[in-house]
Amino acid sequence: MNQPVLRAIRPLVVLLLGLWPLPSVALDHDNLDPNRPIGMEDAYAIPKGEIGMEGGVRFNDRREGRTRVTFQPQIIYGAFDNTQIEIQGDLITEPNTLVGATKSGDLHLGLLYNFNTETIDLPAFAVRVEADLPTGVNSKGVDTQMTGILTRSFGRLRAHLNAGYTILGSPQGQERPGAYRAVAAVSYPLGYPSSFRDTLIASVYTRQSDQRGQRNNTGCEIGLRHQLTSRIVLDGGLGTEFVGPSDRAALLGTVGVSVGF
Amino acid sequence: MKKLAFPGVLLLIAVMTLALAACNQFEPRDKRFYYRALWNFSLREDLAELDSEFNGVDFGHSNLYENLLLTGGQDIPAIEDRARKETLAFIASKPRINPNEEAIAPTYMKLAWRAQNTFDEAHALHRATYDIMASDEPDKDRAIRNVLTYYRESAYAITVKRLDHHRLDRFPYSSTFRTRFPLFNATIWSYHYLQVAVYDPLQAARDLAAKTQAVRPILTTYRRYLEQPPVEWTFMPLTAELSPSFAARYPEIANIFDNLHMLHDNISDILASEQLPTWDAKRTEIYRILNAYYLASADTTNPMIVKDQEHHH
Repeated sequence: MNQPVLRAIRPLVVLLLGLWPLPSVALDHDNLDPNRPIGMEDAYAIPKGEIGMEGGVRFNDRREGRTRVTFQPQIIYGAFDNTQIEIQGDLITEPNTLVGATKSGDLHLGLLYNFNTETIDLPAFAVRVEADLPTGVNSKGVDTQMTGILTRSFGRLRAHLNAGYTILGSPQGQERPGAYRAVAAVSYPLGYPSSFRDTLIASVYTRQSDQRGQRNNTGCEIGLRHQLTSRIVLDGGLGTEFVGPSDRAALLGTVGVSVGF
Repeated sequence: MKKLAFPGVLLLIAVMTLALAACNQFEPRDKRFYYRALWNFSLREDLAELDSEFNGVDFGHSNLYENLLLTGGQDIPAIEDRARKETLAFIASKPRINPNEEAIAPTYMKLAWRAQNTFDEAHALHRATYDIMASDEPDKDRAIRNVLTYYRESAYAITVKRLDHHRLDRFPYSSTFRTRFPLFNATIWSYHYLQVAVYDPLQAARDLAAKTQAVRPILTTYRRYLEQPPVEWTFMPLTAELSPSFAARYPEIANIFDNLHMLHDNISDILASEQLPTWDAKRTEIYRILNAYYLASADTTNPMIVKDQEHHH
């Protein structure tokens, strides 16, 4: 990474370290939310009544173009039974060069509804609906997304499928007006039977490129969630895209923290 | 693609919803956050020694259920030796935070989530009362009554009525677990001893130093029970016997805890019994007794509620 990127990350690292000694189970390291630390989630909402504050920094070292850094502040709330609502506003470096649904400064609203818990015969299912309001740089129109989520466990190994479709409210230039995304992931708690603080997550994904006429962005990610205290979960992840447009990610990295109360 | 895919996702979700609603194993998750207060985690922060023992107890129940289910309740060394020693090893590690029970018992959780959620709610009540007693909360009585009210709002709340535990211990499969696995059963009862015996000493102690001292003899006794399980006990420990002041002051909470511990014993018996040979039969029976005899939602029809106020143990 270059020096500007390091400078950009530094305040967040300081913030994360500042949060470290907070008193102590609120957010559960085994409850997987998108981007914490990789782009997948499980079918479960946070408990009703819980409030979570999440934050992270994600860098995308692209094969062409400068490294892009995203700051990901988010608030999630278990508003109803089996339902969480989310407010997020990603801030991304070089905001004028972005194409696709994600624009720096867009206000992102999301709702996740979990239909059922997993049983012997049935996986857990959930649906997520999201809207990106055009509050960001060069953003026009309200982008909407719907995702179906499935979680199935095999012993301690849990498998997750996410399949979604995004519609851009006002596509610009060569932007694709709609794009699908599919993720297959597994998660596994490390340390059984002596420790229950860590969950390892790995995924492969493909999504339609932001611009028409280009190949799907296809890659893999791996991440770890660590329960630091009863209230705090730290996460970190790495990934790469091995197929896609010429400016696809060579290396993706994320560090983040979630605080529940 | 856009015109086809989005309605396609909607159609898929609609079909998924209908299929789920039609399935008899459809079960909502319904996790609820604990009662939020300044005294949350006071036990963990101020009486860490006792808190770590409770974290070990959480492991013990889930580990037992998973092993009973996967071994069909017949394999004595697997339960008395291996699973019990795993539990003792976990307890000995003095865990600072409570374990992820879904990672300990992934199969059991899928079999009987409704029962697990009932346990989780009651365990949260346990934790809340310990936190209040360990804290410097000035009005502990009001705080305890608030958490009881919050608990009773849950659809998974156990009845506050005193149940006839001896009748609840006379199902055709009752005593299977304690007869076949006396060491692990006595270990489970030791957990329940610890869980209820600390209330009176905590309540009586004025400050943190006194509380630390007050729970020490109980921890010593508990650890002796873990080393030499009290197999001579014939029934589970009861709150009124071990913390009479607490039970007198909060009889509804004492009833919840005793009922909770009886439900634990019932489920151990169901999982161990060959009279319920399939997982489906075990799940059906767990849900039958839970819905008919334990949940507060059954209070108007529950035949196990003791009508008079005398203790029968």
